[in-house]
Order: sequence, then C-alpha cells, then structure tokens
Amino acid sequence: MLACLLPALVLFAVFMVYPTVNVFRMSLYTWSGFSPDMKFVGLDNFRHLVDDDQFVRAFQNTVTLLVVVTVVTMGMGLFLAAIMTRQKLRSRNFLRFVLYIPNVLSVVVIAAVFSAIYDQNNGLLNSMLRLVSLDSWQQVWLGDQKVVLYSVGIAMVWQSLGYYMVLYMSSMSSIPEELYEASGLDGASASRQFFSLTMPLIWQNLRTSLTFFIMSAVNLSFVLVRAMTGGGPDSSSEVLLSYMYKQAYTNSSYGYGMAIGVVIFAFSFLVSLLMSRATKREPLQF
Amino acid sequence: MRKSLAFAGTAVTVLGLLATGCSGGGDSADSGKTTLKVAALEGGYGRDMYAQVIKAYEATHPDVDVQLQISKSIEDEITPNMKAGKYPDVVVLGQGRKAALTETLVKDKAVEDLTPVLKTKVPGEDKTVGDKLTEGIVGNLNTNPYGTDKTYLMPMYYAPTGLFYNQGLFEKNGWKTPATWDEMFALGDKAKKAGIPLFTYPTAGYLDSYFFALLADVGGEQFYTDVMTYKKDVWKSANAKKALDITTKLLGYAAPTTVGYANEQDFTKNQQSILDNKALFMPNGTWITGEMADAPRADGFTWGLTPLPAVTAGAKRYLTTSVESVWVPSAAQHKDAAKDFVAYLYSDEAAKIFAKSNAIQPIQGIADSLTGESASFYKLYEDPSVSALVGGFASTSPVEGVDIKATLFDTANSIISGDTTEAKWQSALNEASEKLRQAGN
Repeated sequence: MLACLLPALVLFAVFMVYPTVNVFRMSLYTWSGFSPDMKFVGLDNFRHLVDDDQFVRAFQNTVTLLVVVTVVTMGMGLFLAAIMTRQKLRSRNFLRFVLYIPNVLSVVVIAAVFSAIYDQNNGLLNSMLRLVSLDSWQQVWLGDQKVVLYSVGIAMVWQSLGYYMVLYMSSMSSIPEELYEASGLDGASASRQFFSLTMPLIWQNLRTSLTFFIMSAVNLSFVLVRAMTGGGPDSSSEVLLSYMYKQAYTNSSYGYGMAIGVVIFAFSFLVSLLMSRATKREPLQF
Repeated sequence: MRKSLAFAGTAVTVLGLLATGCSGGGDSADSGKTTLKVAALEGGYGRDMYAQVIKAYEATHPDVDVQLQISKSIEDEITPNMKAGKYPDVVVLGQGRKAALTETLVKDKAVEDLTPVLKTKVPGEDKTVGDKLTEGIVGNLNTNPYGTDKTYLMPMYYAPTGLFYNQGLFEKNGWKTPATWDEMFALGDKAKKAGIPLFTYPTAGYLDSYFFALLADVGGEQFYTDVMTYKKDVWKSANAKKALDITTKLLGYAAPTTVGYANEQDFTKNQQSILDNKALFMPNGTWITGEMADAPRADGFTWGLTPLPAVTAGAKRYLTTSVESVWVPSAAQHKDAAKDFVAYLYSDEAAKIFAKSNAIQPIQGIADSLTGESASFYKLYEDPSVSALVGGFASTSPVEGVDIKATLFDTANSIISGDTTEAKWQSALNEASEKLRQAGN
C-alpha cells in the first residue's frame, strides 16, 4: 500500500510541503531574494508587521472583501440555484449559461470589462444611473477610496457567482421530488421548503464550497486588484497578497514578504477551521 | 517493493531534470567562442535595433557570440534563472520599473563596478566612453547609486521629462507657457473659466518627473541631493514645506477624472485628456508621442514640452531627465566581454542604429541629428536657464514596509480626493525618509 502511495507522497513533499516549509523558514530572515546574504532575524519580520499601517490596511481590506464577497456570492448562488431548480423557468438553461460564462473568462478580461463598466464618464454603470435620473448615485468607482474596494468586490462576485450557482443546482437537483411534494401537501411555502428541506440536504456541499470559496477568493482578490487598481488609489484597495508581492518583489524585502505569506497561510487556515466548526451539523441524507 | 522504490526514484529524477531544465548549458566553450548573454527590455523603441547592434558587434568580434533575450517583461523572464544562479552578462533595464529588479540588485550590491568602462576606449574608436558621454550624465545618484565616485549603472538612453501640453491650444488662446508658479496658477484660473482644468497625471508614479525638478527648483541642487540622500529632518524644512504647498495647490487644479483613471488599466484616459483639451498640463516623458501616436486629438494639436515653472522669476528651472541604464551583474560569467560590449554600445555605429529607433543616447552631439518633435524636446537643454536633473532616491538597505517613492507620489491621489492632508503627507514623508536614513547603505 505504502509503495503505491510513495510516488504521490514524494511529489507532494517536493512540490507542496517543501515550498511551504521554506516560506516559514524564509520569514525568519531578511533577504532580498537574490544575494547570498541572508540574515537570521528571528521573529523581527512579524514584529514589523504589527507596526506596519499598510499591512494592517491590507489585512482589513482582505477581511472586508472576504466577508462581503462570500456572503453575497453564496447567498445569491443559493437563491438563484433554488429558483432555477424549483421554478420551471423557460430560459433556465440560457440563464445558467450566461451566469456561468464569467467563470471561464480570464481575470484580465474581467478587469477590462469592469474598467469599461466603471468608467466615470462613459461607463455603463454611471450611464444607467443617469438614465434613471439617479445622478447623485454616480461614483468614481475606481477612484473613490471609500468605494473602490466594493467595486473590486462586485467584479469578484460576478466572476464567481455562476460557478457556485451551478454547483448548488447540481446538489439541489439530486434531492428527490417526492420530498418537496410531501412538504407541499403539508402546506410548506417555497421559503420554508428552502430553509427546512433544501438547505439541510445540501449542507455538506455548502460547507465544502464555503471553504473552497474562501481560499479562492484570497487569490482572486489579488489578481483582480493587480489588474484593476494596482492596490490604489493610494493603497486603498491593497489586499494581503498584493502587499506581500510588493514587499517581496518590489521593495526587496523577500523575508518580510514571506512573513506576510505566513500570516496569509495562518489566516486562511484559521478561517477554514472556524468555518468548518461553525457549520458542523449532523449530515442529513435522503 | 523494490520495483516501486526504483520507479519512484526514477520519477523524481525525471521530474528533477524537467524542473531544472535538461538543456546542455549553451556555453560555446567547445567552439572557442565566448557566449555573451544580453538581456534587454523591449521598450517603446522596439527590438530590431538590438538585433542590428549585436550583428554589427559580432562582425568585428568573431570570437563572441551574443545571445539576446528581449521581452516587454524581461524581469519576469530572467529572475527565475538568476535565482538559480544563472545570470545574464549584460542587462539593459532602468530603474523605476514595477518589478524593481535593478533597484533590488543595487540594494544587494550585486551590480558590477563599471567605472573602468568610462576609461575604456570605445571599440574601433579613439575616444574613451567617458569622453563621449554628455557632461553631467554620470556621477549622479542614477549612475552612482551609493553616492560614491563609482559608476555601477551606465546611462543608456536619456529623455527629457516635464510638463506636456497642447501647443495648438495655447496658440489659439494666446496663452504663454508659465515661467513661474504664480503665472501657472494665474493660467489655471484663466483656463478654469474656459472649462479646462490646469493639471492631470497618468498615474501618480509619473509625478517623479514633476517632483524631482520641483525640489531642485525650490531649494537648489543641494536641497534636492539632501532629499534624495535622506538628510535628517529634510522633510521638516521650509523648502520641503514650500514644495508640498505648491503641489497641494496644484493638485487643487487637477482634472476631476484624474484619480479615477490613475491606474494601470485606465491611465491612457488621463493622457487622452491632454489630446482632447480637457486638461492643460501633465507630467510625462518624450515617449508619450509614440505611446499616443494613434490616439484621436483635437484640431491643431501639437505636442509641447516645458520645464516646471520656477519659484521666483528668472531662477533656474530643472528638467528631470529619465535615463535608462545598462549594467553587468556581479555574478555574470563573462564580465570582461560584458564590459567590452557595454563600451561598444556607445560607438558611433551603435548610436546611429539606436537613434534610428528614437532611442537617444547621452552622447555629445547626438541630439543635433534629431528632427521634428524630438528635436524640439531635446532643444530645451540648450536653454541656459534650464538644467538637466538626473537621479533619484539613493539606494539603502531595504526597509520593511517603507517605499518613499510611493509615499511621495501616491499620496497625491489622497490629496486630490481629500482623504489626507498636506500635514499628514509631510509627516509620513519625514518618517519614511528617517527610516531609510537609519538603514543607510
């Protein structure tokens, strides 16, 4: 048995365990990333992090994005999946296709699409607001420090929504129709059916996808921020990974960047653990 | 069990070979030739000029085989190999790039001292490289990043940067380019009445061509050097306050679209506002004419470039000069051949090829051969009241979380949007400067 697992274990160790351990090791050094001069500084890099306002801001931005984007994507994904599964919509397949499309687009394309949507002069969003006489709602979507993070968040939701909707639709479709018929005969409304029947029966799927989404959202926020705002204006949309990149590769502080990497690792691990604990339920089967 | 272990071992070996690259190396020691690896950034000047220069060099150096690696993101391509210990011999890449590879190697003291190249005779010519270079182009913080008399980054191409505007619009309205800041703000008020904001910038990073000249205008070259070398409390000085006062006032005249478009995706929209007469001035470099060559423009549009206004009438005005660099990594395999190649880059033969692609080298007399827009830009250096300003912040050991260029330039976005104040800006600059001063070399 062990012999069969060995190649996979070796590959796992070489490409996963070793680089991860190396990140932890490098976080204890100051190093530019090139020279042989590596200086062991213990936990100094982590001490600097506490006093680094930019890091704190990037952390806050990451947490805000994770909370907002997760709640909106998961909530809308579940809602749309329930509607598309339970309601006999004629255009169901078309809608599913349209909502899924963003998931296969390159992030650079998404950044370009949203750049056009958010254009302060000729963008789709401000033009629509003007059309419905909501001129006062118009914004400089990528230039206002109070708004820019949510602008990036909307692009993240648009990119992810279809994938999770399809995922939940497939889970919901496998719930036997008789259960809904029986609950309908008992007088359960559609919303009651959703919360008392659908949700408990897809709960395991929901748990797994939540953890998966949080991990991917950390990565997606980095790529979108790099492409759309570069962390600006004036670092107001900086997220943990983009700040780590800047420190490691632009500010020649590779060790410090790795310390940020360790924080991201610990943070992701902790959030996953908390999510797993908080959503633990006795599995229901049909 | 043994079979499985052997299989696993083979698999790891094969993967290891794949990971490290299975090529046989590529040094042409067998043929007796020196293989010189040259890595260059494919900038606005294109790639053909490098191929031609290399061809000309190889024709006179049959014992050297020059391998060119050129790309728009050359840093991303050479960095992995450099981390694995495989360095190019010559790198044509300036400072101020996002990946900051040149700055990183400078901070690491991993760049070869090229001072001897200045005294080397240009291959095939009688003059030394130093003799051919324009006066004042070496010996500044750009070429001598440690503030010593040793040159590590050789100046490769140079371009004046300053405030770009539409000459046609000025002629139409009978406006003159302002010579002092008072005239500048008076013009701002006049233009405002005509519905045109005074100022914009592509991204805040472009303010380097504005700020460096302003600092020298306000306090002279010594003050500029003090700021660039992080003199204690330099940002608390009256001159620094004056520079920030002027900038804050100028940012009050910024086009309302500036901050929203000041990102990687949309910066050309800010540049377009100059072409559309929706802003009067923007800081930029001479490459802007090529970059926006195909963009639509207002009737009668002609690119104009002016140095920053002086603080007092008749005072010296500075033109921040963007200088791209060529350097040799300390870990390069063929340093001598690399230095010879670098010296050749300043030959008349090479300079002619580069100039055909508008890549102007800081060689005496070369600007005289220019025509059209380029000629008018480089002519600014002939104005006795205008001085070229080369350089930038001095290199120090890296300080975690401190990027003084970001603090100086990016905060302009927050000043425009009202998210911070001039006092906080000054305080943040002083703090960053002090941390870098303490880091030293």
